[in-house]
Amino acid sequence: MGKDIFEVGINLAKVAVIFLMMIQAVPLLVWLERRGSAFIQNRLGPNRVGPLGLLQLLADAVKFIFKEQFIPGNAAKFLFLAAPVVALIPAALAFTAIPLSIPIQVEAFEMLGKSWGPYTFQFQGVKMDSGIIYILAVSSLGAYGLLLAGWASANKYSLMGALRASAQMISYELGLGLSIVGILMIYGTFDLNAMIDMQKGPLQFSFLGSEYVIPFLPNWGIFYQPLGALLFFICNFAESNRLPFDLPESEGELVAGFHTEYGGFKMLMFFMGEYGHMMVGAGLVTTFYLGGYLIPGLTEDTVRTLIATEVGAGTVANLLTALVFHVSFIVKLALLLWIFIWVRWTLPRFRYDTLMNLGWKTLLPWTLANAAITAIVLYFARGI
Amino acid sequence: MLDQLLPVIFLFCVVIVFGVGMIALTQLAGFKAKKNLVKMMPYESGVPGQEAATTKVSVKFYLTAVSFILFDIEVVFLYPWLLVYSDYIKPHGAFLLGSMGLFVLVLVYGLIYEIKSGALEWD
Amino acid sequence: MDIYPIVFHFFAALVTISALGVVLMPSPIYSALCLALTMLFLSGLFFILDAQFLAAVQLMVYAGAVVVLFVMVLMLFDLRNENQPFSGNWRVNLSKLGVIALGFILIALPCTYLMKASNSEWLQSRGLETKKLAELLFSKHIFAFEVVGALLTVVLIGAIALAKAKGGTHARTE
Repeated sequence: MGKDIFEVGINLAKVAVIFLMMIQAVPLLVWLERRGSAFIQNRLGPNRVGPLGLLQLLADAVKFIFKEQFIPGNAAKFLFLAAPVVALIPAALAFTAIPLSIPIQVEAFEMLGKSWGPYTFQFQGVKMDSGIIYILAVSSLGAYGLLLAGWASANKYSLMGALRASAQMISYELGLGLSIVGILMIYGTFDLNAMIDMQKGPLQFSFLGSEYVIPFLPNWGIFYQPLGALLFFICNFAESNRLPFDLPESEGELVAGFHTEYGGFKMLMFFMGEYGHMMVGAGLVTTFYLGGYLIPGLTEDTVRTLIATEVGAGTVANLLTALVFHVSFIVKLALLLWIFIWVRWTLPRFRYDTLMNLGWKTLLPWTLANAAITAIVLYFARGI
Repeated sequence: MLDQLLPVIFLFCVVIVFGVGMIALTQLAGFKAKKNLVKMMPYESGVPGQEAATTKVSVKFYLTAVSFILFDIEVVFLYPWLLVYSDYIKPHGAFLLGSMGLFVLVLVYGLIYEIKSGALEWD
Repeated sequence: MDIYPIVFHFFAALVTISALGVVLMPSPIYSALCLALTMLFLSGLFFILDAQFLAAVQLMVYAGAVVVLFVMVLMLFDLRNENQPFSGNWRVNLSKLGVIALGFILIALPCTYLMKASNSEWLQSRGLETKKLAELLFSKHIFAFEVVGALLTVVLIGAIALAKAKGGTHARTE
């Protein structure tokens, strides 16, 4: 945690700030989704409140707070109110373990008549030794929020939606877990920061004793595991219950699925959970396959010396360097999130049996085959 | 390990405080309206409810969950295996590959049986 | 100040309370949810004992799969009337407490005796890294590992056979 009160305080505050960052990204994504879908469907979308309709978010938030808070007569009250909070927890816990930028070195400084530091702060909530295991473990709790909401509402649409959602989530969790086995085998570690370090430099690998270097491509995971990346991305759609996998809330059959009886801020919290899962998925794809916060062709030292000539070496330069890499991470994350939204407004929804067939009969064998082939190729590349 | 757990516990508390706080706030600030019998009924597209909320559900959900548990255990075993596999690939690669291959083959047999027996057919 | 014992006992207390909840809750659904909480706190205990992988397995397999199955199955049945035999009845509660006390005596007392006997060295040697665990699993216990694979397949086939047995909703029609 840290050796003095300053380090402990910053580390704890950082966790809360990253959670709030995640929460405040949700209205932005909702705006992006509404505007983006409008342009895809050749209409305008929200454009009246504020510039480009951006203040719509604020108006929505106010409306969510002042709406009537309704609890159905037969509902199990405690679980009905607890379910939105439970739905929020897994995504929030998982997102905190994703590295967002390079660590920040803080030089020693004087404050309140005492000398502090030097410190090194990770630009992420918690630096986990086995980050991916932790993320998989906490996001496996995602089914509870939906199941509780569906059961507590005492509505058959809600219950059906919740059952479908949880059956779908657990089916695709297998694909999710298996599709990254290949890339983890190549990295040989569970530490997300170590994985990003391995993706530095140009693409280079050894096969059957000879070394190959391709200078114009970055050393990203996607070039080793293109199929794994695609399968992992697909499974993330199902995990966050997004179209084309949004069977739990197929409005033609189930009204609104597990949140039929929910309204106002409680429904917004389910949205936060869904978008949170999206962000975790996109963040993991970035970390495993797109080099995390790295910028191709630029190393940390180049950026730091470039900034240091402007503002002088020290804490400020370190902070600005970290921000540059953070922007690189955000750009990659935003592109992937846009693909999430783009797919939602392009593809129609699956039927339930085709969805389960896809999960069990297509994705599971393909991810297994991907892992097996990776293991065999790795044996020939490194083992002999 | 405590270093890594304490921020998580703290975040857990922050999320719960945020969630409970927001729900309490909306309960206090929200518009108050009179309750009536029709409004408190389960939503069913505007007509009175036809059947109870807990209706009979296909056994398929149960079967899916059981097979998920079994394959999940398989996935869980793959993770420690890939750590040793990438570490000891030089001296023991063939042995490790073979032992995991046997394990996975047995389970793939189970998967093929499950598909062939029609247990994964949704109708 | 060493906060390790504080956190350990905090989690131990949470595990005990939620495990008591499993037994004492009037409704089966709440019992199952308490079981999920127990698994969550147990994984926290594993985590502070440096057994990260076991903590993750506890969450992924138990909380994320087994208890989800329990909750799903309980939700499939109409359990609103099941509450009555289990609640508001002092005899039931008394017998539950009696069973807990008996279990405590039968399990906890031998355990404390054994702990004293082993000089509580096991507490010092905490830490079971994922890699060490994996090395043990794939060298010394490789046979047990393969047998587990066969066992899982047998369980899978058994579940399919049960779901297709006579009289079920998806019974084979021949």
